[in-house]
Amino acid sequence: MQYRSQAVAKPYFIAAIGLFVGQILFGLVMGLQYVWGDFLFPEIPFNVARMVHTNLLIVWLLFGFMGAAYYLVPEESERELHSPGLAILLFWVFLIAGALTILGYLLVPYAGLAKLTGNDLLPTMGREFLEQPTITKIGIVIVALGFLYNIGLTILGGRKTVVNLVLLTGLTGLALLFLFAFYNPDNLVKDKFYWWWVVHLWVEGVWELILGSILAFVLIKVTGVDREVIEKWLYVIIAMTLITGIIGTGHHYYWIGTPEYWQWWGSIFSAMEPIPFFMMTVFAFNMVNRRRREHPNKAAVLWALGTAVMAFLGAGVWGFLHTLAPVNYYTHGTQITAAHGHMAFYGAYVMIVLTMISYAMPILRGQEASDERSQVLEMWSFWLMTVSMVFITLFLTGAGILQVWLQRYSTDPIPFMAAQEKIAIFYWLREIAGVVFLIGLVLYVVSFFVKGGRPAMASAADTA
Amino acid sequence: MSEVFTKSMARNIYYGGSLFFILLFLALTFDTDGTLPKRDNRAALTEQVALGKKVWEENDCIGCHTLLGEGAYFAPELGNVYKRFGNSTAAIVGFIKGRPPEGIPGRRSMPQFNLSDEELEAVAAFLKYASEIDTANWPPNIQG
Amino acid sequence: MDMTAGLPAATEQRSLPGDFAIWIFIYAELLVFGVFFLAYAFARSHNVELFDAQQRFLDRNTGAINTLVLITSSFLVVRAVNAIRRDAAAVCARWLTAAIACGGIFVALKLGEFHAKFAAGVTLSTNTFYMFYLSLTFFHFMHVLMGMVILAVVAVKARRGAYSAASHTGVETGASYWHMVDLVWIVLFPLVYVMH
Repeated sequence: MQYRSQAVAKPYFIAAIGLFVGQILFGLVMGLQYVWGDFLFPEIPFNVARMVHTNLLIVWLLFGFMGAAYYLVPEESERELHSPGLAILLFWVFLIAGALTILGYLLVPYAGLAKLTGNDLLPTMGREFLEQPTITKIGIVIVALGFLYNIGLTILGGRKTVVNLVLLTGLTGLALLFLFAFYNPDNLVKDKFYWWWVVHLWVEGVWELILGSILAFVLIKVTGVDREVIEKWLYVIIAMTLITGIIGTGHHYYWIGTPEYWQWWGSIFSAMEPIPFFMMTVFAFNMVNRRRREHPNKAAVLWALGTAVMAFLGAGVWGFLHTLAPVNYYTHGTQITAAHGHMAFYGAYVMIVLTMISYAMPILRGQEASDERSQVLEMWSFWLMTVSMVFITLFLTGAGILQVWLQRYSTDPIPFMAAQEKIAIFYWLREIAGVVFLIGLVLYVVSFFVKGGRPAMASAADTA
Repeated sequence: MSEVFTKSMARNIYYGGSLFFILLFLALTFDTDGTLPKRDNRAALTEQVALGKKVWEENDCIGCHTLLGEGAYFAPELGNVYKRFGNSTAAIVGFIKGRPPEGIPGRRSMPQFNLSDEELEAVAAFLKYASEIDTANWPPNIQG
Repeated sequence: MDMTAGLPAATEQRSLPGDFAIWIFIYAELLVFGVFFLAYAFARSHNVELFDAQQRFLDRNTGAINTLVLITSSFLVVRAVNAIRRDAAAVCARWLTAAIACGGIFVALKLGEFHAKFAAGVTLSTNTFYMFYLSLTFFHFMHVLMGMVILAVVAVKARRGAYSAASHTGVETGASYWHMVDLVWIVLFPLVYVMH
């Protein structure tokens, strides 16, 4: 660790992993409810479990992004963080607000939570992924502003690297676009139109800038390749991301009451969204092949390459599968969407946060890399989680294809619930893959507590 | 000869390209906003429908159902449920009202939300309004 | 993808004029337009009568004049590059200014054409033909504006003496982009205005 204030990243990473475990547990509950309809009913109905599952995902990824920023910004800026105290304060604010919100979901009926938190004053609740009470949303904005202030002053007062500037643009965009979460008109079409400005422009826009800059940072560190080369490719890749992704929003505007030209604009531009992901894959492998040092943290390199591959598969390939309007006409809102969502979020965002944690956590704990046994275990968890996520995606894709056929495409379409019963086998298989994922995650947590084997030593003298 | 691939040019393309496509996106948004009145069924947006949307949101219906294909995939699409239930708001009200509080053994069940009559009528009116939005012929058939 | 671009070894065997980064952008743009043109062809093949009928309402004369204007501007840009290769920076700037003026003529004529269409009540939602006509021409129109901005920056820098015979990648970069804008129009005009 080069700067003492980088240490504030540690609680963020620990919280992220803790919430990740919670997310997966609720994922398993939902998976079971798919085949065992009254499991935990009426105590935890599916919609509550889903809210917890998706909200925990978003919150822990945000913890991960913030931790990553607190770790890498001082090092890139070559100075201490503007205010480590503020970072710790915001950590507790965010954690407590997040925990209270999740407890609210679980302990109070959602309508009661809405009443309790004064949703009448400014109704923003009850929209997918934006279920948080308005007061929590305001809290998120305050935390985001405090965080940006802290990071921004550090960056502007220090060395301005491309990694830093791209990260700062991404985080600023994240905060700005979240403001659309407060716009909830009665007009359903308008509501949906601007809802995507948060959801799509986050995950297929500004979050990719965050992803790109974290990946670039880790690659600079573990490969020793010249910063100039990595930085200009970072620029080109994120340029392609925004060129394709902004108009690519149109692939959500096919069937929600928006004008029909979006079917053309959305198809054409989103068909090109895999390109930046493909460039990222080629870029990551190229940089690792041209490495100028053997970094002792093999696990971090594995995560970095895994991110590049899985983001391309999940976001790029699985996104493309159903992005063209004539295909989407049949697949819109089916398990195909769920399949894509799982692999894209895992491949792009879960894995980049785990990449950063894998790289930074040993350093935060006073080693350049973990002991060999710990790394072996971590790599096992990588493969278990990644392979099981591939299977989850494949099973959901199978379920989705059958669902489309039975319910939408055949000459004699059957009702939703009848179709669901016919494809139950895929949900069972998905749940089994989910259990394997949980085992992988447990191994991941255990890997932090394992010591021994040959101590991983630096091959180069520097501990960058 | 100067460098062929410069960081500053890559940066210019990032900033210029992003700005270009943001402007294009805003132009298309502007056009969309002007076209929506012909498609979004805003004439039917009564106070009752607005209340219905609020009931829809405050019970997190989107956590199980899809609405115009967006939401969760655990329960049926409701964008066209008004039509699927024979163009009847009464049928929608009856269904929501009749959910057993303890669920149906072994099956996916909808919770009993204990809505008032006013709320029930409102949410049904909201679903009727949603079914009359011009969705370019989606879903492909009545099953949603 | 050639990751070695930009490293010293690569500079000796350079084949593309201008900065390699602009070429990634140019390829991306050509890909977008290419896919858009294919989509046009696909839509037209399903709607030949509509497309043929609507096409007759387009202002082909203005389109033809604009084609000549853009080809001229490309020629002027070539002269600008030649000038800087002879170290004549002021001459280069003048040629570029002339090219920008051509771009201005294109923009003015195009605005007149858009105005006439909007006055007639044509929108993106009128029908599939007009969807493509407006989308393609407006998208290209924005590229012309962007190209003019790029050429203007290059012209100002040329006047300030930022380029020389030995170092003028910036001029070639701007020129490459402008030629791309021209090239797209040369495909777009016959495809949308003329062919049936």
